[in-house]
Amino acid sequence: MPNYEALHRLELNYLDTPRIPTRDGVELYYESRGEGTAITLLNNFFISAPSWRVFTEELARNYRVVSYDMCNHGASSHHDEEPTWEEHAADVIGLLDALEIESTYLVGTSVSTALARDVALRYPSRVRGLVLAGPVLGPRGMRRHRQIQRAWLRTLEDHGMAGLYGHIYPEVISMEMNEALGSAGFLGLRESFLSITTAEDLRNGLTLALQGDTSPELLAHIQAPTLVILGDDDNLLSPTGGKELAALFPNGRCEIMPKAGHVPFFDDPEYFQELIHKFIQEAESAAHA
Amino acid sequence: MPDTAEARQRIRSLLVELLGNDQFVSRVSDTESLRTAGLSSHALVGLLVAMEDAFGFEWQDDVEPEVLRSIDSLAGYVVALRN
Repeated sequence: MPNYEALHRLELNYLDTPRIPTRDGVELYYESRGEGTAITLLNNFFISAPSWRVFTEELARNYRVVSYDMCNHGASSHHDEEPTWEEHAADVIGLLDALEIESTYLVGTSVSTALARDVALRYPSRVRGLVLAGPVLGPRGMRRHRQIQRAWLRTLEDHGMAGLYGHIYPEVISMEMNEALGSAGFLGLRESFLSITTAEDLRNGLTLALQGDTSPELLAHIQAPTLVILGDDDNLLSPTGGKELAALFPNGRCEIMPKAGHVPFFDDPEYFQELIHKFIQEAESAAHA
Repeated sequence: MPDTAEARQRIRSLLVELLGNDQFVSRVSDTESLRTAGLSSHALVGLLVAMEDAFGFEWQDDVEPEVLRSIDSLAGYVVALRN
């Protein structure tokens, strides 16, 4: 049952930890909590490494939960050019190497579900399983997502960060959460949004989100167990579409979160973590059978 | 009907009630950014809700970000609404 308690406790403060060097000159901010099988969290361009804490507290009791900021975003090093998806994927592997993580579960959200796919395709031995929350991948392609991301980019260019927030909020936030938080919540979360990222980082990220392979056929090559988690109030992909998407993976399934939006852990982090915990238990049992 | 100074003082009192102590309020100036000074998302939303009750109005989605920046800008918004 959504109560938004975790969202109210949202933490954005960075820890004073050393950065991880990956590629030439690239240094990534990261956080690692808990011990055991690794879960690596992949940011979309609207959240940061610290903001995962309140949504993964239960997972950190049973697993090693790693979050990080992508190169050119948040507290990681910034360079003249936005990395390609291939370079972002290489950074994930560089991060795992530095943390001595042989293989990991990847959790992607929105646009980072495409990064999770790419890492699983390029480095299959490093990926124990995929969790795709509110995926931008579609069962027939990514046309709708690209159109939406292009519209977000135009809004950012024409109306700035606050204008973009006003555009994306009703598209990614569930109706239930929108009504529950009211205008005070809308305005308060806008302040969080404005402090998480910058217009330049977002422009680079949204531009990158328009690139990359959109073929659903790629998914048939991913052997890792895959869980699609989809809110049934996700405006970007219907529950039917989510189930069709999961069926494209050789070892995929879909779980629907009632009343949740495009970022389902905002709505019900407890249930979200339960789904991941159950998925990993099943995947580990199958791997050791 | 509060003037700006009264509204600022009331907002400070609401923050003390919300945070359970006066540590934050005693170190933040009227014009300093609340976000930069370290006010959490939770506390800011709590403050906005408390202001609705204290000053008898409801926030609207079209409020500009600058209004939420500081104690002074919040107080100015409340006074402007009343006038």
